[in-house]
Amino acid sequence: MRAALAADQFYQETRDLRVTGFLLFMVSDLVLFSSFIFAYLYLRNTGQGWPPPGAPHLNLALAALNSVVLFGSGATIHFALENWKHEKFMKFAGWTLATIVLGIMFLSGQGIEYYSLYTVDHASWAGSGIFGASFFTLTGMHGLHVFAGIIYLTVLLLQATQGKYTFKHYTGLTLGTLYWHFVDVIWVVLFSIFYLI
Amino acid sequence: MAVTASQPGGIADHIHPEPQGFIRKYVFSIDHKIIGIQYIVTSFVFMVLGGLLAELIRIQLMNANGGFMTPDTYNEVYTIHGSTMVWLVIVPMVTGGFGNFVFPLQIGARDVAFPWLNMVSFWMFPPAGLLLYASFLVGAPVAGWTEYPPVSLQGGPGTSMWCAAIFLVGVGTTLTGINFLVTALKMRAPGMTFTRMPLFVWAQFATAPLVMIATTALAAALAALFMERQFGVPFYDPTKGGSPLLWQHMFWFYSHPAVYIMILPVFGIISEVFPTFARKPIFGYKMIAFSSISIALLGFMVWAHHMFTSGLAPFLQLPFMIMTMVIAIPTGIKVFSWLATLWGGKIQYTTAMLFAIAFIATFTLGGISGVFLAAIPFDLWAHGTYFIVAHIHYVLVGGSLTGIFAGMFYWYPKMTGRFMNETLGRWTFWLFVIGLNGTFVPMHWLGLMGMPRRVAEYDPQFQTINRVESLFSFVMTFAILLFFINALWSIRHGKRAGHNPWHARTLEWQIPSPPPYYNFKHIPTVLANPYAFDEPVPYAGLEDELTDSPVPIPAGAH
Repeated sequence: MRAALAADQFYQETRDLRVTGFLLFMVSDLVLFSSFIFAYLYLRNTGQGWPPPGAPHLNLALAALNSVVLFGSGATIHFALENWKHEKFMKFAGWTLATIVLGIMFLSGQGIEYYSLYTVDHASWAGSGIFGASFFTLTGMHGLHVFAGIIYLTVLLLQATQGKYTFKHYTGLTLGTLYWHFVDVIWVVLFSIFYLI
Repeated sequence: MAVTASQPGGIADHIHPEPQGFIRKYVFSIDHKIIGIQYIVTSFVFMVLGGLLAELIRIQLMNANGGFMTPDTYNEVYTIHGSTMVWLVIVPMVTGGFGNFVFPLQIGARDVAFPWLNMVSFWMFPPAGLLLYASFLVGAPVAGWTEYPPVSLQGGPGTSMWCAAIFLVGVGTTLTGINFLVTALKMRAPGMTFTRMPLFVWAQFATAPLVMIATTALAAALAALFMERQFGVPFYDPTKGGSPLLWQHMFWFYSHPAVYIMILPVFGIISEVFPTFARKPIFGYKMIAFSSISIALLGFMVWAHHMFTSGLAPFLQLPFMIMTMVIAIPTGIKVFSWLATLWGGKIQYTTAMLFAIAFIATFTLGGISGVFLAAIPFDLWAHGTYFIVAHIHYVLVGGSLTGIFAGMFYWYPKMTGRFMNETLGRWTFWLFVIGLNGTFVPMHWLGLMGMPRRVAEYDPQFQTINRVESLFSFVMTFAILLFFINALWSIRHGKRAGHNPWHARTLEWQIPSPPPYYNFKHIPTVLANPYAFDEPVPYAGLEDELTDSPVPIPAGAH
């Protein structure tokens, strides 16, 4: 009994440390994105007018659809964790799988956007000007984060299937959810600054 | 809250057996004390390299027409000298080095929050340094440690290696910042409220968020420079619509806070050394603690004062000038608090104390020339001259390095169980202080007379002063050499120190020297802040620490 209590205490404190550390890591990651966003806005506002000559037309409709897909995945990952807390393993697995699928759909949408920019519209690429540099660096960095998130969630799902987490001890799942929400929020900003303003 | 650390079965009881093999014990160690010493040793190794480069610079400048090396080589040498001293010496020394060794002990923890991550952070540092020095083989960067474009966009692959090296060491530092912040927030011993933390802990606590946020901004700037150089992704090249000023903004958004990353922990060292050797409570404990926090916050709002001559919009110049001058207030609060701590104390003039006292003088000189430079009219005059070189060296050598020596003499007995030789220490001190001031005071004059920085050849009227500087710089180098001899010799032959030779009151001095692997047999309870020198030490539960009793492993511990 005492040993069980001690183990529980250990779990709670470790969870506290890991969640705090992970939040700070996300702050740090946010600064990385913010710096590039600053660079984009700086170039945009100090240059010779915007859009610069040769800047391509972005596909707003596709990006809007893509945004809905990604925001939807924010909801599904939330349901997944809630179901885990209520000890419903199958529902957890289903919602996590849905999140992964939505993530893949988002990346495919991004791929279509990149492809059309590269082939159809002015052969735009990162090296073609300051618009391309900002756009492809920021969305590329975000895309890498989504890709990492898909891998992350897949690993978590496999681990959960193999019984690595219990319904009481699931810090890893919490961190994965936090990460996915973070990637979601970044997209809100990127979508606004590239497609809306 | 920190209090949870006392609960049975918590992390505080998570005692592993000490690893036995050499590799696990000294190379890939996860013990914060070993990692701290690894950082200190590695930083000193790079300090030798950076110092040799500095002497090459001084040899070149002994003749107005140069002649010792080509101007191109000279550019490489001062660039790598500056980059080494900032990123491979001072920053890792004061955060990874002293931070790792001292700060977990001072809060009564068994280790940092993420020991394994700590090891990973350290092992990014030596490869980064090697990468930086390898750039000499392919043509090192030549644009100075600030690497302003468009110069940094030109030239061979050396600059890209510079980017990668600084990026790598930066990632390590960022992870250390995260690690320390979690540790300071979550792992303090029970009873150690914020106002009971030692001032060195406050200093690390203020530095950690700076490290975490500012270094990441630098990473972005470096990544952009790297992409532009290697893949032609335009950010900084004005011919492709980019902006060289963008680099300056991003670089100084890191590098101004970096100044405080390099000095705040040293403030912490001084705040420990002064009360211990004045045998008096530190004056203005809360003011010193809060001034660290306010310096950290203000440090983010002043970066563009490095850019007054770069074409900054006039309406932006004034706020940056005022904010910069405002930083002098919290800094002044610290200096006056330290002086008031000395006032009426029974001062013991150990080598550590001598260095700490010298720090006040030399750092304040650097601080005051900083206030000069914050004034736009003066900056327009002095920018790009040797006055800047004098300022940065007074802050980093007269400030950070002097404080690091104070810290080394102070904590060496804790790290090794032995004293450093005091006689040799005094020689080090006097030669160092004389060499330091002889080298850098005349740089102010040269700057005001108009000698530009970063030139391999100069107007013959400056030659005499330059020769004097070079001679004094050899004295300083000799002093540092004495320090290394002392540190190496004392590991085996120094006088045994016992656990608390200075009669200091912070937690690290209440346990054996060097501290055992698990630090504390029982996590102590903290009853007050450590600086009330006329009272008994304010800790409960330390009775067993100095006895032979075995380490108790509680039921249920892992």
